[in-house]
Parts: sequence; structure tokens; C-alpha cells
Amino acid sequence: MNNYLRNLFNNCWIEIAFRWILGITFIYASYYKIMSPTDFAKVVYGYNLFPEVLINPIAIILPFVELISGLSLLIGIYPRSAALIINGLLLAFIFILTINIMRGYEFDCGCFSTKKTGSPKLMVARDVIYLIMGLQIFLFNGVRKGCIIRVDRKT
Amino acid sequence: MQWNKIIKEMIFLLGISIIFAFTVNFFSPAGIALVGQWDESLGVIATKAKSDVFSGELEIKHVKIAKQIYDSDKAVFVDARSLENFENAHIKGAESLPLDQFDNLIEAFKEKYPADTIIVTYCLGRTCDDSHRLEQLLFDKGYVNVSVFIDGYQGWKAEGYPIE
Repeated sequence: MNNYLRNLFNNCWIEIAFRWILGITFIYASYYKIMSPTDFAKVVYGYNLFPEVLINPIAIILPFVELISGLSLLIGIYPRSAALIINGLLLAFIFILTINIMRGYEFDCGCFSTKKTGSPKLMVARDVIYLIMGLQIFLFNGVRKGCIIRVDRKT
Repeated sequence: MQWNKIIKEMIFLLGISIIFAFTVNFFSPAGIALVGQWDESLGVIATKAKSDVFSGELEIKHVKIAKQIYDSDKAVFVDARSLENFENAHIKGAESLPLDQFDNLIEAFKEKYPADTIIVTYCLGRTCDDSHRLEQLLFDKGYVNVSVFIDGYQGWKAEGYPIE
């Protein structure tokens, strides 16, 4: 079983599939936030977790971190580092969603649009699945396919 | 695992992201200020975006003043929220003019209310800016006596004032 899992985690086709899925997802997720920073800032405010002085900088910077990391995964520029950034974002999203679920807040996740996108618990489950994909990309030790700059080999 | 390399690559990716973010925000018409107004006790929350249409002078910042205007029977209260929210509950006697249906409904509104009508727009409360946007659209259509009740439906209801 362990060998089977190890083979799955080191399968280059699974790695490229996960990289493209996560890459396209994060590029898509960044689009509306870049087009409507005001709406996204209100979503950040709605989480009721951040100091006022940080709300606008988060709304300005976060979408571009998603965009650049997503692009890096998609075209294969420093994919391991991009996966680590995206895993960090996903952990933060899971933490924020969970805190607000525990507080019983009704909120708009603002993940892909300004409209409500479904149950927060489902969003956490979805982010956990993305996190597993991100971990596979990060831990992958073989030769990566479809990379422009970094082709990681076994170290 | 080569952590040094990974950290350098992450700094590169994050650096590029930050440079792009501030450059696009600076040139984009939808760009926002570096620090917004997020204190509800000071007024309507806002990112202070380039596209903001806020005019503090035309805001009614106290519920009691809105009630005095309401009691004078000289003003029309106009609800900028969605029709669904309006039908759920609204300030008693208010007209519905949802922002997203403004173009469809404005002609009928103009037939009913002349340009010198005293209008008070409102939306949910200090977390929305639809009432400010409606105020701007009404100005553009020639209405000259428009002000915004910033505490909106929530503030009105909290005071126990008439709703229907």
C-alpha cells in the first residue's frame, strides 16, 4: 500500500495533471479579484479577521500572488516553489474558513466571484483536495514534464 | 531538498507578484487606495477606489435626522437594494429602484417624481455603497435634491422605525 501511494505521488502524469488543475484554478480565481478589487476588499473585510490597515493591501496583492503562482505551475517555472506558495495560501484559506464556520458567521468566501459560492464546509473540503494536489507537486521527486525552467530530478 | 533554492525562488515569485500588483493597481481605473475606510463608526466602509462616487456632504449620518426628514413627508425614500430584499421588508412608503435595474425603471420613476423631488436613497447600511451609486445615477438624470441615508435599512430597523 505504501509503495502504491509512493508510486502515485511520484507519477509524472499525475504531477502534471495536478499542476495544470491547480494552475488554471488559481489563475481563474485571481481574475475577478483583479478586475474588482473593491468587491474583493469587501469580502476580506467580511471575514472580520484582519486589521483595517491590511484589508486594502491584501486585496491588492493576494490576487497577483494567485495569478503568478498559478502561471508558474501551469507553464512550469519553479513549480515546487509555486506549489509551496499555493499550499500556504490554501492552509490560510482553510484556517480562515474554519474559524468563521466555528464562529457561526455567514460570509461570502469570495473565492471565485463576488456571488455566494456554496456551503463554507464544502469550500473547506475543496481546499483540502487542492492542498493534497499541491503536496503531490511539492513532494514529487521525478522528472517533471512540461516545465519551461525547472526540471527537478531526484536529489 | 534544496531549501535555499526554494526560498530564493519563492522570494522571486512573491516579489514579481507584489511589483505587478502595485503597478496594475496604480494604473487601473478600478484601482484602490493603499488604506481604505473600514471603520463603520466613521461612515460607509470604502476602499477609496478611483471609481468611488462618495460625497460626504450629501450623506445623512444620523438615523434621527433621517426620521425627521421622513416625518416631514417632503421626501421620497428610495431603496437601492434588490427587489427581493425590498419585497422582504423596507422602510415604510419607500420606492424600490434597484441599482441593477436602474435603466429599466428610471423612466417610470421620472414620470412619477419630478426633478425637484427631495430624494433620500438608502441600501442595507454602512457596509454597502449602492445608495451612493444610486444617488450619482439620479443626479445624472437631473435630480438635484438627492441625499444618502448611510445607516440604511439596518439602522432604521434597529431604531424600531416603521417598516413594511
